Amino acid sequence: MKSKPVVTGHFTTVHTSFLVDFEFTNNITILTGDSGTGKTAVFSFIRECAAVNSDIICFNYLDYQKDIREIISRVEGKLIVIDNADILLDDDIRKYISLDGRNQYLIIGRNPRNLFTTRENLFEMVSRRAGEQTVFSIKPYL
Amino acid sequence: MITIFKDRDDIPQDKDYVELNDVFFNQNTAARLDGNATRIIDEIDGSKLIGRFRIQSRFDDVALDIDRLSAGCKTVLNVMYYPDKVFCLKECGNNALELIYGLRCGFVYSDYALIPFDVGKVMVQTKEGSREVSGYEELREWWDNEE
Repeated sequence: MKSKPVVTGHFTTVHTSFLVDFEFTNNITILTGDSGTGKTAVFSFIRECAAVNSDIICFNYLDYQKDIREIISRVEGKLIVIDNADILLDDDIRKYISLDGRNQYLIIGRNPRNLFTTRENLFEMVSRRAGEQTVFSIKPYL
Repeated sequence: MITIFKDRDDIPQDKDYVELNDVFFNQNTAARLDGNATRIIDEIDGSKLIGRFRIQSRFDDVALDIDRLSAGCKTVLNVMYYPDKVFCLKECGNNALELIYGLRCGFVYSDYALIPFDVGKVMVQTKEGSREVSGYEELREWWDNEE
């Protein structure tokens, strides 16, 4: 599903020697791929950024007991980042996200069920060393 | 070989089901790790086990607490060290799936198909009982109810 990002087309943050530099081309970005590529590390850097940027909301397995559907239905203009999405998002939340034109989503997981996404929404992590820095970016998965 | 469930209701009541592999690993498996975990951690996360609860990051060689392992790696280790429990398979990338499918025993669950490209024999279990299946196509058919 092709839809322009409603919050930001570019996200960047720094955590010590790590630089996250993401270009978003869709409103829903699914970050997938092998285990151990740094997806959850990047999530932790984005969550740190959210402490000083109120336009970012993060969820991961620590939010397992929360009503995520209720929380995201009350916000607007947010970049909503969800790690552990394959266990956090049930079909009801997935359908809501697929139709939510008020917020933008970065979903870290492998199952695109009920998100009505296509290959244009699927990305994987790329990391490269730049001097002492490790730079994380995303590229199309397929 | 491992045993796969595709319906939560098919898991026998005397078996614990673990959905949050991260939490279970941090609270239980981490303390059990031995030399057998070294290869798994290296193959999946590209990290080195450098102490009882320490790994060396693949990205910058910094020493990290072992809770920083990927969810996929933690899932493989959970299945390895607790072969009596059933673990959610959903957070495994293909590299972690390949290792899980190669384990000598263990139990996993997913309500949708998660199959590595190279798969040998596994057991599948429903309320009707368990049986052996082999190969991607046969396993896919079982998962998709096309038998």
